[in-house]
Order: sequence, then C-alpha cells, then structure tokens
Amino acid sequence: MLQTLSVERRVDPHLSIDKYDPEAELLLLHMGPQHPATHGVFRMDLYLDGEIVVKAVPYVGYLHRAVEKLCEKLTYSQITPIVDKNDYVAPMTNEQAVNMAFEKLLAIEVPRRARWIRMIFAELQRIASHLLWLGTFTMDLGGALGGGTTVFMHSFREREMIMDLFEEVSGCRFHYNTHTIGGNRHDLPAGWAGRVKEALAVIEARISEYEGMSLENRIFVKRTKGVGVIEPGLALELGLTGPMLRACGIDHDLRRDAPFHAYDEVAPRVIVAEGGDCLARARVRLGELKESVRFVRETIDSIPEGSINGGRPIKLPNSIKIPPGQTYVGIETPRGELGTYLIADGSANPYRLKIRPPSLHALSALPYVLPGGTVSDALAILGSVDPIMGEADR
Amino acid sequence: MSERANLDTGASWTHPLYATLEKLPGVSLGLASVDDLLAWGLTNSLWVFPMATSCCGIELMAAAASRIDLDRMGTIVRGTPRQCDVMVVAGTITVKMAPRVLKLWEQMPEPKWCIAMGSCAISGDFYRNLYSVIPGIDTVIPVDVYIPGCPPNPEALMHGLLRLQEKVHARRRGEKVDRDPNPDLIRVTQPAIPRVCERDLGRNDELSKLQADQAGRVTEEQMCPAVDVPFEPPPPATPVFAPDFEGLLRELGVAVAADGPPLVPVERHFEFARRLKELGYRQLVSIVATHWLAGTGRAGKEEGASEHLEVAYVLRTVGPGSRLATWAVRVAPDQPIPSLVPLYAGADWQEREQFDLVGARFAGHPDLRRLMMAENYPGHPLRRDFPIDAHCAPWR
Repeated sequence: MLQTLSVERRVDPHLSIDKYDPEAELLLLHMGPQHPATHGVFRMDLYLDGEIVVKAVPYVGYLHRAVEKLCEKLTYSQITPIVDKNDYVAPMTNEQAVNMAFEKLLAIEVPRRARWIRMIFAELQRIASHLLWLGTFTMDLGGALGGGTTVFMHSFREREMIMDLFEEVSGCRFHYNTHTIGGNRHDLPAGWAGRVKEALAVIEARISEYEGMSLENRIFVKRTKGVGVIEPGLALELGLTGPMLRACGIDHDLRRDAPFHAYDEVAPRVIVAEGGDCLARARVRLGELKESVRFVRETIDSIPEGSINGGRPIKLPNSIKIPPGQTYVGIETPRGELGTYLIADGSANPYRLKIRPPSLHALSALPYVLPGGTVSDALAILGSVDPIMGEADR
Repeated sequence: MSERANLDTGASWTHPLYATLEKLPGVSLGLASVDDLLAWGLTNSLWVFPMATSCCGIELMAAAASRIDLDRMGTIVRGTPRQCDVMVVAGTITVKMAPRVLKLWEQMPEPKWCIAMGSCAISGDFYRNLYSVIPGIDTVIPVDVYIPGCPPNPEALMHGLLRLQEKVHARRRGEKVDRDPNPDLIRVTQPAIPRVCERDLGRNDELSKLQADQAGRVTEEQMCPAVDVPFEPPPPATPVFAPDFEGLLRELGVAVAADGPPLVPVERHFEFARRLKELGYRQLVSIVATHWLAGTGRAGKEEGASEHLEVAYVLRTVGPGSRLATWAVRVAPDQPIPSLVPLYAGADWQEREQFDLVGARFAGHPDLRRLMMAENYPGHPLRRDFPIDAHCAPWR
C-alpha cells in the first residue's frame, strides 16, 4: 500500500507489482475479456488489497480486426462500409472521418447541402450514442438505480426512434454506408425533417426524466461524485478528447475550435464541467444530449437546397487514384476526436490508413485513475469512459 | 472434427428425471405427458448468454430492450455462462478471443445450444482473410442456428430464437431434425471481400488457392478496372502550418516538404517535441508509423531508397482556434527512436501499438510490450511484406 492513495502524486502505471508492500496480501482479479460491464471485450487485471484496487493493468486487442491492414488492400470507395464497423455506436462519424481525409487529399469541395446533412447526421448520432451510454452506464452502477435496467429500457426506447429515422434515410439500422467521396449517397426523404422534429420533441421531454433518474438521484451522485478524478494536465497528455476532456474543465471541442462540415456557419454550445470525476462526465454527456437535441431541432429547417454529391454520379468508379501525399483529419464524434491519418502513394489503394480512436486514448487513463478506488468504483469509471472496443482495437 | 461430435450433445441428451421415472413400475404410462411437460419447459425458457463482442452485440441489446423485448419469449439475458442454455455469439471473434469463447462454452451446463449471429460469427465476413480473425465461430464450437446479416435486425434474432425453440422441442420429442449445415461447405462457398487477386497468390495456402480458383483468378486489373477518373487532378497541395510551428521549423532548420510532414532528424526529435510542448501543443493526438520497402518512398517509387520506417507525430493545441503540428522521423527498421513518454503520458500506448503493428523501436519507453496482438505473436502485421492472412494457425 505504498503507491495507492496518493492524491498529490500521479500514479505510476509502470511500477512493478513487486515494489508494493510485501506485507499486504494482494489478490489478482482478472476482469474480462467477457464481463457484462466491460462493454465488449476488454480485460483488466486488478491487484486488490481487500476491495481497494492497488494496481490496474488494462489489456486491449481482443477485437483487433485488422481494419488498417484491410484498408490497404481495398480501393478508396470500398473503405467506407468497412470503417462503419469501427465505432459501431456512431457509425456515420467513421464514414465522415475517412471520406473527409480522401476529399482533403483530392482537394474536392463538398456541396453545402451535403455538409449540412452530414452535420445533422453527426448530431443525431451523438444523441443515439449518448442514449446508449446512459443506458449502459446506469446499468453498470447496478441495482442502486431501481433495478439496474430501468434507465436502459427507457433510453433504448428513444434510441429506436433515431434508428428508425436513419433506417428511413439509408435502409439500415446501422452500418449505413451513406457517405461517399465528395458528398452523400442518400438524399433526405420527403417529410423527414418533420419526423425528426417529432421524435426530438419526445426525446427532449424525456431528458428531464433521465436527469431525475440519474443526476438528481442521491445514490447515483454518491456512486459517481469524486470517483475516478482525472486531473486536466494528465488528460491533455494522454490525448483524452470529447466528453472525457471537457469533464476536466478544459474548454475544447473541435466542432467550434477546428470547424468541419457546416459548424463554421452554426455551432452548438460547448458543454464543460468541472471536477474530472464520473459525475462531471455524466453531466457533460447529458448536457450534450440536451444541446444536440436543441441544435438539430433549430437547424434542420435551414438545410440548404442543392446537390448532395457535387452533381457527380452517385456510383463512384472503383479506381479513384489519390496522388501521393499525407494528411490528417480529425472530427469530433460522441467519444472525442476521431482522426484519420492517410498516406496515399498515387495508386487506387491507400498506402497506410491510421485511424485515431478516441476510445483507446480514453482507456489509457484507466491505470492512472483506478488505483485507490474499490472494485465497484472501477466499474463506474469504466462505464463513464464509454469505450467502444471496435474502435479502440480496430 | 472429432471433438465436434463429442461436443454436440443435443441429440443424445436425456433428463436425469426421465431415467429415474422410467425404472418405476407403471409410471411409463404417464411418461408421455411428463415428457411433454419437460419439452415445453425446456423450449420456453432458453436463457441467453451474450457472447457479444462487437456491433451485433448492440442489436442483441436492442432486442433485449423495450421495443422487441425478448423476455416475453422466456428468453432472459444472463451475465454468467453457468446459468445459461444458449450462447449467442454476436460479433467478430478474433484469434485472441477464440480460446476464451471455447472456455466460456465449456462452462455452460448441458444441454446447451449456440446461435451464430451476424456474418462475422458465421464466416468472418470481410475480415475472414485477415491475420487476426477466425473464419466463423463454427470452427470453435458447434452452432445450431445461423442468423445472417450485418448486423441482423432484432427481429431476425427473434426469428432465429424461434427456430431454435422448434429445434429444441423437436429434439426433445425425439423427432428427426434437419442435419446441421456442413460448416466446411459454408467456409468454402461463402464469397469474401477482399477477393484474392494475383498479387496475393504468393501464399502457400490451400484455402486461399481454393478461393482463388473459385473466384476465377481475379487479376488486379479486373478488380480495379481502369475507369476515367471524374475528378480533375488537384493542384499540388501547399502545406499550411500554424505560424508558431513554422517559426520553430525555421529556427531549427527543418526543411518543409510538399508531400508530407517535415522530416526531423532523429537525434533532434525529442528536443523538437519538447519545444512544441512549450509552445502550447499539449495534446498528443496520434503517432503513425509506416513501413516503406526498398525502392519506395513518399512519392510512390523512390529510386535507391532503402527499406525504412517513417513515424509521424500529430500534436494539437486546445481551445478556440486549435492548431495542429505534424512532423515525421525517418529511420531504418531496427533503429530506435527516442520515446515521447517522458513528455506525453499518452505516447505510452501509442508507441506500444506502433511497435506491435509496424515494428518501430522506441528507446526509453518504460514498458514496450505488444498492445493488440498476443505476446508471442511472430512478426509485425502492418509491415508491407507481411502477408495479410499469415500466422493464424490453427484456423488457416
């Protein structure tokens, strides 16, 4: 117990377990890769002294699907449906990230209407993703919240509404394959905006219910307040982005700070919370949920008329060749900065396509924040990170 | 395949209560109705163990949630294999995960069934030819019902569960059930992306050859037919740097390249990063290592270039007007690069990942282990000379 409860000093995740107090009878607990609370296939080795976590060693890679290697073998237009499967809770943001990198190297101007539609899609994906986070996070906190699955059942009811809207646009519940190089594949169906507003009205009315069930719930606050505190300096060094970073009190959102899509014309408010603990992260996500609903409702009527793919045929030829060059494009997704580092060598396949996953960076904070807490805190922290392993492992 | 026969127990299994009752005199008359009762109970209380790894897991959750509500079919999702009857394998199973799936399957009590949900669990889908993914869960455990889709709708999952209920009921009643589809047949006949083309045929792999023969030996030209590209060739991109980054480049005498980030000499690399951090680039965004074979380089073909790695770094300032700084280091494949962990704690996992996948060495890293692949994995998969489906024994 030498290393643990030191709040002033940063935990050293590389300290060998032999350096800890030899008197303490440490218990090694393998959590995962199959565990209901690990949100997929993620494994942590927890060294426990009683119920206190002394040292945590995370392991990833149980869903390493070799996406980057596969992309090197595919043509540019084949890549979109592949990267859909990375962040499978907000798939459209994956498509946007890679296609924006291709467009940047090809120096293609995306039509204004397509950019607006992408922005609306991205915000709707944020709503769906945060609803899923809310359900699973409260489930992780367990029976304290009235049976565990209560909020899950509520939030999935609303998530299905968003899924229906996307199904109407692209024909799929997810894995839409709706973005192409230079624009979008599917235009909005007639009357879609009206149905979006109807769905959002229902969701907006219910967000206050969620807040009542979570932020105003004494047990919820006790389980999350002061748990898993990340200090701002460490958050920046680790490359945390999105709600994880904003919950540390750092006012940074790529939608405002490095605008893409149409965010240079209209920008949502940036939600920031102080504290860096699980409660702050919950506050940021619930605030973003509310803000995205408001933002979509107010901007969906202003989508400009025009072409959605630059007047070019929707079916792109299979052999677009991108001239040699390297570029990095980062966009703000529900989990943070999703980046694409593209290296083209003039052929029809990318030479190297590195996807910068926000979840992997977020998970790398775990060895710093878990020591000192209990096992139940570990689950609360893991839930508040909101990792998607498909994206972290790729 | 001999283990498969032993594992597949559904046909031969009888309830212990049945055996006890059968011995009692006169009771056999009532056995038929007891049998009906047991079959009814077994059929309508299939508890599901969610072996949910990826996207299909979300649809499994959606199926268990309020709209579809699997509970009304007597199907409850439980978190531990010891309480469950049905394992729903929802998602891609990797080489690293497959032994764990088998272990969980062995922990489930008899009788047990398995549903392969989604094309990844059925065949590996488009990941099937890749070095880290197994071609279908039926190469590990016996599967009773296959639900195609990517991902299947919750309705499709419900349909699959109903079909499983029919199967369970019929087997319990001793009726003849359709033979399971031959998994070997599925593995061979399912089309796969990427299709094997000529340049991949260097592999001495039976399965790949078989696939290539079936696909009619697609050449690279056929796979990517030469179509007139509708886009005008873009003007040569002029790199745009933030003023402070450009000032630092000028101060340190680093040349600006048009076809990529500026190349910093490896001995000045750490100093460069430290100066950038002082300038306010406090967020480490990404580290990208790339492997270039001899004779290739940034412009595609580079005469006389030796085999090398290029490691690119991306940093960012936070707050309004966020600026990016990107630079690269060019080293020989075995030459170590100074690690950035003392400056950026986030470089820890990033460098481990690039060491694992590309094989870049980082000097001064406190714990340079593999991140994605297993500890004893041979080779670095993202090297250009690494075959796409190598080292995946025993699956191919």
